[in-house]
Amino acid sequence: MSKQLFEDLARAVIEGEEEDAEALVAQALEQGVDPLACINEGLVKGIEEVGELFSDGTYFLPELIQGAAAMKAALEILEPNLIGEQRREVVGKVVLGTVAGDQHEIGKTLVGTMLTANGFEVVDIGVDKKAEEFVAAIEQCDADIVGASALLTTTLLEHKRIIDSIVEAGLREKVKVMIGGAPVTSEFAKEIGADGYADDAISAVAVARQLIGAPA
Amino acid sequence: MTSERHVIEPITTSRKLRFLEDEQLDTLREATLDILENVGVRFHSEKALAIFEEHGAPVDRSSQIVKLPRDLVLKAMSSVPRYFDLGARDPDLDLPLKDGITYFTNDGCGHEVVDFETGERRASTKADVAMMARINDYLPSMSFCWTIVSAQDCGATSPLHEMDAVWKNNTKHYQSVTMMGEKLCRYGVEMATVLRGNLEEIRRRPPISLIACTIAPLVQDREALEGALVLAEAGIPVIIMSMPTMGTTAPATYAGALALADAEVISATVLLQLATPGARVFHCILHAWADPRTGGYVGYPLDARVRFAPVEIAHHWGMPALGGAFGTDSAELASWQAAAEVATDPLLAALAGAEIATGVGLRDTYTLLYPEAMILDSDLYDLARYSLLDMEITPETLAVDVTAKVQPGGHFLGEKHTRRYMRGAMVRSNCQELDAAGKYRDPAEVAREKVGWILENHHPEPPSAAEQKEIDRILAAADRELTG
Repeated sequence: MSKQLFEDLARAVIEGEEEDAEALVAQALEQGVDPLACINEGLVKGIEEVGELFSDGTYFLPELIQGAAAMKAALEILEPNLIGEQRREVVGKVVLGTVAGDQHEIGKTLVGTMLTANGFEVVDIGVDKKAEEFVAAIEQCDADIVGASALLTTTLLEHKRIIDSIVEAGLREKVKVMIGGAPVTSEFAKEIGADGYADDAISAVAVARQLIGAPA
Repeated sequence: MTSERHVIEPITTSRKLRFLEDEQLDTLREATLDILENVGVRFHSEKALAIFEEHGAPVDRSSQIVKLPRDLVLKAMSSVPRYFDLGARDPDLDLPLKDGITYFTNDGCGHEVVDFETGERRASTKADVAMMARINDYLPSMSFCWTIVSAQDCGATSPLHEMDAVWKNNTKHYQSVTMMGEKLCRYGVEMATVLRGNLEEIRRRPPISLIACTIAPLVQDREALEGALVLAEAGIPVIIMSMPTMGTTAPATYAGALALADAEVISATVLLQLATPGARVFHCILHAWADPRTGGYVGYPLDARVRFAPVEIAHHWGMPALGGAFGTDSAELASWQAAAEVATDPLLAALAGAEIATGVGLRDTYTLLYPEAMILDSDLYDLARYSLLDMEITPETLAVDVTAKVQPGGHFLGEKHTRRYMRGAMVRSNCQELDAAGKYRDPAEVAREKVGWILENHHPEPPSAAEQKEIDRILAAADRELTG
């Protein structure tokens, strides 16, 4: 019975069917199925398959994003129902946001989706966020990584302000800093003292894993 | 036996670009008629002169110049068919001529090859014709096949050997660029009969056609014309191609060069109509410029107006047109010049409304073959083809409901609509291949790999054993008679 449910859950993620995933986990909870087993035996297996299909070129970005969205929707229902000390296994915690003065969202959102799909817990604080808002989010969720995005050349230097604020708050040893966005280069990242830079959302996952010493 | 790819993708468009006004076309026609009637055209052919005499045209036997009266020209031209079919070896690849469709082919006829294996520059052979026919067969950009290089290892019967090499490696319509002379063309008709069984079928679905060139200014070549007469009689289409050079063999003005070239094409067309009323003839002017210091042949200076205006002149006469595209003056495979000179050609040829157009794959002004060039040039062709595709505007493609769902500031990657359409929304060209880092690879390197792949994997169905046996017999007979 549960085996079929887990397979259906995995299938909903693989096919990017968000509503099916929500209905299936609601049904699982009603039937008293272990929510952590739903995550590990259903959702994680599904998202792993999505990752493989993306890697081998079968899936494109929409399939990847919709698989991750289905998983996220199911997780939001399951996580409040975890029993006792049960916790979903996460690779690391990441705070993501777009820097102050910049309203561009899609790049940062894609990175968040990719990280979520690869086992990270992501706290997306949104767009146009000041350095102190990044710092507050890092403290609040005990983040391992902070990721900041800027699309405009005029907002590029906000990255440096975020790093300075993290240093001032005494968090620099604890949190790794990743930056990205169209005008950002690896040279710029090095110059301002960031720990990592990625060209796109796919390579951001590899950089994040490397920064916290997680297996690739 | 064959790799799976076996389709053609001609350029289709409902849009038209005009280079000449109706009044200008009328003026040009009057100039052509004036040249034909008062200057005349030299026909180096007793057969042609006799046909003109028979129809009452003034013929000066000593100069071999025929003056074509206006009424004779207009009457003869009224029997030229505007639309007909070009048959292919594979019936699925037949080409029905229609308004709004332009069928492209490769270039011709080069005489040197940069060898695919050794990189050595050498004379072209029958094996090169065979190799390139196979690449042509694979590419959907190529609707039919031209003689891309000459089979210089086959002597006087090389045009027949070129046809043999093409048929063994290509299932599309074949347009010979080299077949000349009555005897050779009779063998050509005999070979075409092997494919079709009888002359009636050749007329219905002609598997071959022929390029016959005039000699500017105002001279008709005996071998080209007498060969064309044989093919036209058999129902095989002929393309009369004038290649005037502005400043040396034609006036140094566009209008003058066009009128002169048109007179050459029309005089040959009239001859074919007088001999075989209803003969299928394409009109083609491929003009060039003479370098004002050296007199050298220049195919690609800046201005391409006269390259495509002749298509309108053809249509004004009620004839289908061969548009002359590609054939850069650059001798490099993949230089900026090699691409930039010809980049707008397929677009302009299609917008002008040419029924057929040549031709990708040669460098150094139609003389030099790099096997990879056909792949690279096909990318330019595809760029034009996609640019002219009709856009689909429907409630489904407008997707206003999807936009409303996403809302300002959102993104579309989570939408099923995106999932449905994103894969097909962006098409990369043959040579826009990405490396492991997601960066574009060197297009020439990609083209080289594709040539290698096609040669290894694409094996078009050759003529049947019985057909080939008959073709071999005809080739042997031609070799005996014509090679001496």
